[in-house]
Amino acid sequence: MGERKVIKTTCKGCHGGCGVLATVEDGVIVHIEGNPEAPTLGTMCSKGLSSIQHVNHPDRLLYPLKRTGERGEGKWQRISWDEALDTIEQKMKDSIAKHGPSSIAVSQGTGRGYNEYTHRFARSIGTANIITPGYICHSPRLGLYGLVTGYGRLYCDYHGWGGEYPKTQISWAKQLEISSADGEMAVWFLNSLKHVKNLIVVDPRETALSSRATLWLQIRPGTDAALALAMINVIISEGLIDKEFIEKWTYGFDKLAERVKEYTPEKAAEITWLKAEDIKKAARLFAIDTPGCIQIGSSLERQANCGQTLRAIICLLGVTGNIERPGSMISWVPPDTGQREDFFTEIPITDEMRKGIVGSDQYKMGAARTAHSDTVIKQLLNGNSVIKVWFSVGGQQILHLANTKEVMEALKNLEFLVHVDQFMGPMAEIADIVLPAAHWLEIDDIFDMHPRFMIEAHNRVVDPPGEAWQDSKIFNEVGKRLAPKYWFENVEKMLDYQLKKGNMTWKDFSKKVVHARMGKDQIYYKYKTDYWRKGGGFPTPTGKMELYSTVLENLGYDPLPHFQEPGESPVSTPELAKEYPLILTTGYRQPFYFLSQYRNIPWLRSFQKDPVMQIHPDTAKECGIEDGDWAWIESPRGKIKQKARLFPGILPGVVMATANCFYPESPGPLHGLLKSNPNVLTSNNHCDPMYGSPDLTCLLCKVYKAEDDKEE
Amino acid sequence: MRWGMVVDLSKCVRCYACLAACRIEHFLPMGINWPRLVALETGGDSPTVSTYSVRCNQCKDAPCVEVCPTGATTRREDGVVTVDQDKCVGCRYCVVACPYQNRTFLSKDKDQGFFPGRVVTDFEKAGKKLYKHQIGTTEKCNFCAERIDAGLAKGLKPGIDREATPACVNTCPARALTFGDLDDPNSEVSRLIREKKGFQLHPEYNTDPSVYFIDGKIGQSDEPKVDDKADKEPEAIGVGE
Ligand code: SF4
Ligand code: SF4
Ligand code: SF4
Repeated sequence: MGERKVIKTTCKGCHGGCGVLATVEDGVIVHIEGNPEAPTLGTMCSKGLSSIQHVNHPDRLLYPLKRTGERGEGKWQRISWDEALDTIEQKMKDSIAKHGPSSIAVSQGTGRGYNEYTHRFARSIGTANIITPGYICHSPRLGLYGLVTGYGRLYCDYHGWGGEYPKTQISWAKQLEISSADGEMAVWFLNSLKHVKNLIVVDPRETALSSRATLWLQIRPGTDAALALAMINVIISEGLIDKEFIEKWTYGFDKLAERVKEYTPEKAAEITWLKAEDIKKAARLFAIDTPGCIQIGSSLERQANCGQTLRAIICLLGVTGNIERPGSMISWVPPDTGQREDFFTEIPITDEMRKGIVGSDQYKMGAARTAHSDTVIKQLLNGNSVIKVWFSVGGQQILHLANTKEVMEALKNLEFLVHVDQFMGPMAEIADIVLPAAHWLEIDDIFDMHPRFMIEAHNRVVDPPGEAWQDSKIFNEVGKRLAPKYWFENVEKMLDYQLKKGNMTWKDFSKKVVHARMGKDQIYYKYKTDYWRKGGGFPTPTGKMELYSTVLENLGYDPLPHFQEPGESPVSTPELAKEYPLILTTGYRQPFYFLSQYRNIPWLRSFQKDPVMQIHPDTAKECGIEDGDWAWIESPRGKIKQKARLFPGILPGVVMATANCFYPESPGPLHGLLKSNPNVLTSNNHCDPMYGSPDLTCLLCKVYKAEDDKEE
Repeated sequence: MRWGMVVDLSKCVRCYACLAACRIEHFLPMGINWPRLVALETGGDSPTVSTYSVRCNQCKDAPCVEVCPTGATTRREDGVVTVDQDKCVGCRYCVVACPYQNRTFLSKDKDQGFFPGRVVTDFEKAGKKLYKHQIGTTEKCNFCAERIDAGLAKGLKPGIDREATPACVNTCPARALTFGDLDDPNSEVSRLIREKKGFQLHPEYNTDPSVYFIDGKIGQSDEPKVDDKADKEPEAIGVGE
């Protein structure tokens, strides 16, 4: 046996955060398991553990490539990093000179600890046209929670650091236990269930949690705001409000009370397809058995009423006083290193940058710091695109944006596209330059989890393959060429800089691995202290938690939450519903895939080879489909095939399609992009007025048997 | 001493982590899973369908042991049923005999590598040296006997000390798996079986499995559990001020 050492690091197989022990023998990883000393207590999920199959994966990108044939023709030539960076520098400089810095877009996938670099890079060169999936995942929560807490974060207190655990939990359009953005949170959430009295699950289909919940609300997709408003109605009319909190710390209660009058449980029952009795029961459980918390899933942010749905849920927290109380929803205080966002917010968005943000005139909440993706696509299609050069890292917009066919057309009109990735996928295939990225087992970097009470270290376990670089290095090197004053001699210096507030160097932190503010160092009830405001209060214009939002009012939005039908539904478009009678939601996730990732990881693929859609046996029968059949799912935009799974646990009349799927093994340039990806079916025409989020999880479709699984 | 496991059906979230951990722990060939997730009817008064994390039951009266003509499959003193790869001749009697279908015959097609015909990864090469898989023999979950043995040799307690505890138990984010000594009435497994009416799969087969299932409910506080005591106050790690 050769030299054997155990390296402590942090997984980001999903959003990440689980502590990892990687055993290396003679330079080879021979074992991975959870780190029992980390806050995740030694647990790891199937994605994280199977990360080992990324190392030596034969499809990894090894060298920078430049396109030699037509776009998407698949002809590539290996080039040096110097040539790649020279070309990128030149293209960007030309574009800036000709069209201004806003002509450059920087895009990313899920914000997994490299978004600090994408944002800093964009801002450092003078553009705020950052394209992120945020507007359909988490940004609306951040923005609207920010109207309560200032910094935009409210998390469920699963930790009991204030002496109490949540007594009532609502898991709303969420499967934190398996599809969590942060796997780390799943561990804490599951642990907190030991202390819960009532678990309420809001989901159109049965899950591991719903089957054991106190109350399971099998809701019609897209109607969640009506449920929340009716719950507030019940809580107010039955006198179950937290009187003291409302009187002392909230603004606009009377107006909210007036607004929710129209949302009686009976009316909401009609809208949501729930029973009025169940709505009342949920309201009572949540209001009586406090403290309580609500874990919201991003499915609610893939709907064109997302802003108001979230506002309604926030008001539900407000009227029950479930803010900042131990066991409720809390904004954790970051450790002394600060928030990692400081690394980019220290470069402010200037007025000029703001003016250049695509979609900012329309989506005043969403397109304030980042561009509105669907408007970018529309502009590219219409030939009036602000964006000319697109620097894409990680995420594949071509997959996750609504209306795939339009997105494909639009991207062709870019002047220059760079894509950074570990593998050749549909987005890389249409790029002009492709850069090879390192995997988390191959990088030194700082990880920040969503709830922000700690940072963790990614420590390099093995070297990246070929000439792959870690994202931080890629941004630092491009940054140095375009905006040298904001960038660093090398990555280590850049990491040191990010840790300096905590009086640490990267070397110190790398050994420490976790730097956290937990336990009694956390501060509850901040509004009762000088934390946000001298003499107490919330960091809002009125100093109160605004049930009636003066900020939204000033922006021209409805200051009180309301319900609106999805753009397509049996109610809003009854004519269309005659041809497309089923409700389509595209939120199906599996525990072993993360969004579009990992269908090329053999161990993970072995768990489910083909994308599956769930359908109720009765509905399937009407559509002539049997379990295991390939089925067409068709919407006015197009049709795809997925494998049908007859599932009695799903609401009849609803089709739950697997999201973001493509077939890495299928030939380029599309890699099966159009075969099963539900975004072929989604529309980018009906968007949330605040955030621009399109209806992805509440549309109409029809379903019928497909003869085979062949790609058309 | 008889090692056993309890699977809490209400806690299991069907995440597949136990399968992944076992693959890594034993460098399992691509086509093999020792544990599996299967949908079955639950026990209890009002049975419903649930998903079970199943693995070899390490039966006390194991049909696989009985039928093995070469003595490759044996039941150890501590209750673990093991297969000696060197003695197994691949007759597959045990595969047929196991009423729970927990045994897999490792045929060549099940050992094509992660990326057949393309590359043998460093991890696979290391596995060839570190863990034996013999094509043409039969395999199954061994309750991580290697971990138990190495741990005990160091004075550690399986089910309590991580190093001596099965890999799937350690990784389970839901803490749905509990491991320990069934012969010790004070062990956590014995307590769970006693207090939560643990049941074995198909007791009518008369194999006396060492794996038990419980199906307590979430969100309906039932009897207090040992692990219900308030968590230890975590240390605030490295926060200055
Ligand atoms: S790891 Fe635990 S929760 Fe996940 S499937 Fe296995 S037993 Fe269930
Ligand atoms: S479950 Fe099957 S393989 Fe395991 S001991 Fe029992 S009979 Fe043998
Ligand atoms: S006990 Fe060990 S061998 Fe058995 S399934 Fe779990 S990890 Fe695999």
